[in-house]
Amino acid sequence: MTKTLTREDLLKAYRTMRTIREFEERLHTDFATGEIPGFVHLYAGEEASATGVCMNLTADDHIASTHRGHGHCIAKGVDPVGMMAEIWGKKTGTCKGKGGSMHIADLSVGMLGANGIVGGGGPLVCGTALAAKLRNQPFVSVCFFGDGASNQGTIFEAMNLASVWNLPVIFLAENNGYAEATSSKFSVACDNIADRASAFGMPGITVDGFDFFAVYEAAGAAIDRARKGGGPSLVEVKLSRYYGHFEGDQQTYRAPGEVQAIRDTKDCLLQFARRVTSSGEITQAELDAIDADVKALIDGSVVKAKSDPKPTEADLLTDVYVSY
Amino acid sequence: MKHIATTPSIGIVANPASGRDIRRLTSKALVFPTVEKINMIERLLGAFGAVGVEHVLMMPDMVGIAAGLIRAIDGHRAQGLQPWPVVDFVPMPLTDSPRDTQEAVRQMRAAGVAVIVVLGGDGTHRIVAGECGDIPLATLSSGTNNAFPDLREPTLTGLAAGLVATGAVPVSEAARRNKLLRVRGSKVDEIALVDVCVTRQMHLGARAVWDPSTIAELFVTFAEPDAIGLSSIAAMLEPVGRDVPRGSWVRCATSGLGVLAPIAPGLVTPVGIDEHGLLAPGQSMQIRTEQGCIALDGEREIELNGHQTYSVTLELDGPLSLDVPATLAAAVRRGAMVRDLIRSAAP
Repeated sequence: MTKTLTREDLLKAYRTMRTIREFEERLHTDFATGEIPGFVHLYAGEEASATGVCMNLTADDHIASTHRGHGHCIAKGVDPVGMMAEIWGKKTGTCKGKGGSMHIADLSVGMLGANGIVGGGGPLVCGTALAAKLRNQPFVSVCFFGDGASNQGTIFEAMNLASVWNLPVIFLAENNGYAEATSSKFSVACDNIADRASAFGMPGITVDGFDFFAVYEAAGAAIDRARKGGGPSLVEVKLSRYYGHFEGDQQTYRAPGEVQAIRDTKDCLLQFARRVTSSGEITQAELDAIDADVKALIDGSVVKAKSDPKPTEADLLTDVYVSY
Repeated sequence: MKHIATTPSIGIVANPASGRDIRRLTSKALVFPTVEKINMIERLLGAFGAVGVEHVLMMPDMVGIAAGLIRAIDGHRAQGLQPWPVVDFVPMPLTDSPRDTQEAVRQMRAAGVAVIVVLGGDGTHRIVAGECGDIPLATLSSGTNNAFPDLREPTLTGLAAGLVATGAVPVSEAARRNKLLRVRGSKVDEIALVDVCVTRQMHLGARAVWDPSTIAELFVTFAEPDAIGLSSIAAMLEPVGRDVPRGSWVRCATSGLGVLAPIAPGLVTPVGIDEHGLLAPGQSMQIRTEQGCIALDGEREIELNGHQTYSVTLELDGPLSLDVPATLAAAVRRGAMVRDLIRSAAP
């Protein structure tokens, strides 16, 4: 059955996408100052994917993310203020400043973690999905991965295992066209990642990742199917990242004007705003108010992150191992 | 595009996006992989080569059909097998959208191809039909949820297309005229080859219409009880043949009496019926639903916001499509399949 999006749902979707965009645009600016440690891989441009998927999930469902994980974290409900502090390496961060951009995790909202290992999320979600199945709980797990990870053995093994055990897993391939600097047209043998699903005995579909409504509906069908015991599936979301593989990437592998053309014609926030205002479901004033709220939130998170304390020497050996 | 009609030539449009929509999750529709589309084109080329087609003009794409075909052609040539026609790709920028199909067909038409072979679903054929004029279409379903294209072995479709392209069978014996539905609004003029479906879903979303409980209105050019898809709803009330000069319409209900309809692979579901009737040529009917979407040949294309009115009209002058059994039978009658084996074997 089709789920109808209420006004509150639409406002939440817009707020989530706008929060991810504002968070990433701000990091793009601030990372250039050299004050932020480590690397950041920005999710700007891909917001409809994380939001469209996670709007179908509860806090008891799990997701595993990638090195490009900020959007997944925010969409799953991780506090952006704590995330900003984490990326700035501060003690008040989501993981007390020890994880940084590529290791933000918050199990309280079902976020298993961003992950610096390409393709590392597949085996993790097989674990959480198996736990849910053995406990007879109606919870699903989503593995986000990219076109680069689609060629990794871990993903193939996880897809095989999920299919053999009929696990409630959704393999969510975010195909943004480039594995670091290598075009997926060169590196992915079957071109459509969704085609690989049939080799593992599961359905695979392709969906427009610039369109929140398309992702929401497609992911909803996959999640509903998994939740009811129908087993794993593969959803390929085709989208584009607005910035380089990492901040500082000169992107010489992209055509001049490629990103700007996408920003001007396909941008998920522009599409969403046009659709919901045209249908009369939401007013432009309501969207503008969310924009202002979100800007204040992110501005505040940066001010706080800059002034918060760093971990001390005494923190070095805490939270390193978990005792059961 | 240079005019190439001095040699028997055929255009091929293979939709790179077909066979991957949400119905793989909501029904038992299969994934139709790129490699299978490439293989279908190889089978077409074998048939073309056998009956003397010299030139093929192919739509390029961004997801690997063209790239795979180039590899296949190289491999075929290296093995010294029966020659295939020369394959050229339409020179065009790609947008990875239906605009690519429109541009490719425009250039194929300008180049003077005799037939266009289409691999895709009802929606792909709709887009080709909007641009092809009177060039006959050889239809092939690359999916499991289609009513307009044939679900047929491509070698046979290739033979029929080749026999028409080489003049062995005239178009008058090979092709039939299809009907179409025209949807008009103040800023809209679109066509559908099989069905116009009005859903209560507010947004285009994942495009495909898959939830029968959202269907409000349905208009069809033909409704065959042995067809899969939305048109089966109308077919279970009153079948309408593909060659008769009328269509039909249905207004759906959420309760009361309904029909059991195979709306997708593995999905046979009751659909409530409020009222239904036949649609005469030229007859225009208003769409009553104010909030929702209009789907053309199964895919949501127009969002309804209550501010505009839309009408649906049945027209009889739709695209030509090859009747493969009739074409091959005509070829046999004309002796077009007879070959002198000694001369054929000569170097």
